[in-house]
Amino acid sequence: MTIPPVLRLVVRNFASNLDPLTVLIRFGQPAITIIVLGTMFSTIISSGATGGGSYTAFLVPGMVAFQMITGGVVSGNLFWLDRRWAMTEQIFSGPFRRSEYLGGLVLTTLLFALVGVGVMILAGLPFIGIPALSPLAIGTVLFTVALGSIFFAGLLIALGSRLRSANAYFTIQSFLQLFVIFLSTVYYPITSSTPKLLAVIFYGNPLTYAADTIRDAFTGTLGLGDLVGLGVLGGLAAVAFGAAAWGFRDLDLGPIQ
Amino acid sequence: MSSEVVLEALDLGHAYAPGRYAVRHLSLELHRGEVLGLLGRNGAGKTTTVRMFTTLLPPTEGTARILGMDIRTGGRALRARLGVVLQAESLDFVTVERNLTLYGFLWGVPREVAKSRAEEMIELFELEGARHRKPWALSGGERRRFQVARELMHDMEILFLDEPTVGLDAIARRRILAYLRGRSRDGLSMVFTTHILHEADLLCDRIAVMHQGRLRALASPGELKHRYAGAREVSMSFRQPLPTALHLELARALADRGASSPTVDPDPAGAGSSVRFRVEHAEELLPWLTRWVQLQGLELSRLSVEEATLEGAFLGLIGDLPDSGGESPGPRATEVRA
Repeated sequence: MTIPPVLRLVVRNFASNLDPLTVLIRFGQPAITIIVLGTMFSTIISSGATGGGSYTAFLVPGMVAFQMITGGVVSGNLFWLDRRWAMTEQIFSGPFRRSEYLGGLVLTTLLFALVGVGVMILAGLPFIGIPALSPLAIGTVLFTVALGSIFFAGLLIALGSRLRSANAYFTIQSFLQLFVIFLSTVYYPITSSTPKLLAVIFYGNPLTYAADTIRDAFTGTLGLGDLVGLGVLGGLAAVAFGAAAWGFRDLDLGPIQ
Repeated sequence: MSSEVVLEALDLGHAYAPGRYAVRHLSLELHRGEVLGLLGRNGAGKTTTVRMFTTLLPPTEGTARILGMDIRTGGRALRARLGVVLQAESLDFVTVERNLTLYGFLWGVPREVAKSRAEEMIELFELEGARHRKPWALSGGERRRFQVARELMHDMEILFLDEPTVGLDAIARRRILAYLRGRSRDGLSMVFTTHILHEADLLCDRIAVMHQGRLRALASPGELKHRYAGAREVSMSFRQPLPTALHLELARALADRGASSPTVDPDPAGAGSSVRFRVEHAEELLPWLTRWVQLQGLELSRLSVEEATLEGAFLGLIGDLPDSGGESPGPRATEVRA
């Protein structure tokens, strides 16, 4: 049986670029955040401030949403390293289409994000128990993370297809990652006392829509607002993926630093 | 080498910007089982040519058909029948052994075949000591050997090698060239770029010399040397001293036949004389020279002709040409069929 090229590329992505330490850090960091930040903040933040549950119960869906960044960063970095070490050129000179390589990256992102979702729920188990998710809620969580992952992967791949310096790429990537997380509702909700400017910035951030939708899925309060949020996320994912695909059309395969 | 044409380029060219041609008017053929060398100075257009042939870079003018497919539209179906050893180091971050089997997997080589082929490559390219090391722990030569070995993990009909022997020691180089020569005898066609002219001489059936994006000559190494290696030194020693009259006669006759700077010295090894001169196409002069010696009743103790080298031919062909200043309006390629 011949394995389709995209799947061969996905296997190669996992086998060749994801060393155990990287995987441990990528999943361990948000898991530790749930355990430490959740425990510590639960003791000082009242349940009223986080919608009735503990702070950990508020944080877990946020960290599930955060997996879209984890997945996106993984494939952004994979692509960058492939460019840096001429593997993009090597693979493009082989029996693959550029679209298949891009598809392989996206699929790697999705799989990584999916595993991340599972790890975050496992990390939250001792604190919030097994979340009572309906099939619709499970589907919504996975779909949201998938859209968010495609958005971040697309954004970073588009960026990586244009930049020629590792320093520039990783600086921008870290900057984006940091600000996207802090300027979202992953760690805290937007309330009536949130400064207007910050609220506007928060709602300009796709992670906010993902975190809010996943939180609603966890609490069984999915509504029209979440549909709008998914629409926004879907639109942004399409734009970012389009930018990445555009970047592949005339990708400069020359040496980069 | 068969007469079947597997690659045919016609007026192929690529301009990185309007008017900035890296390659222009490239027309050549490659036959099944043939090894074609691409020689030229840095920036001559060799890598651009390889990238066009391997569909990594679309030509901006002209056409090329490889294995019956147009390089613009052949896409994956075409690339599936090619192999490419890039000039740049291309590496995956797993051990050498895993790299080889993973690359085989990527190309759809069955697992068992990939495993046995990896063993073969590890032995052939002397990578046993590097088997469990990751690429960053390899020396430059090991990385290069590994890169060639990895490309040979899958089946192909044409192999493009862009400076595959850079950084290799003489023994490793010889070993790889011998292996490649064997593969070409089995029908694998190759396009091979290098700056080491001696290895091009050893491996290539024909050589295309490029300069500033244009093909300057396309011929067998022997023909290139014959046509462009320039004047070579011929030295001969006689068992007896050469009388002045004969010396003058010889000098005149040699000059008539294109030789320059004939000198006569006492033979340091004996009582005779030795004569040295420089001449192009020395082999054509030798029959006359030996006849003249016999006619004069002289006896030769030694006759040597400086070996023509590809380096000499390369320098003779493009050594005096300017190396910058954009596209040169030079002549079209001279093709000499061996």
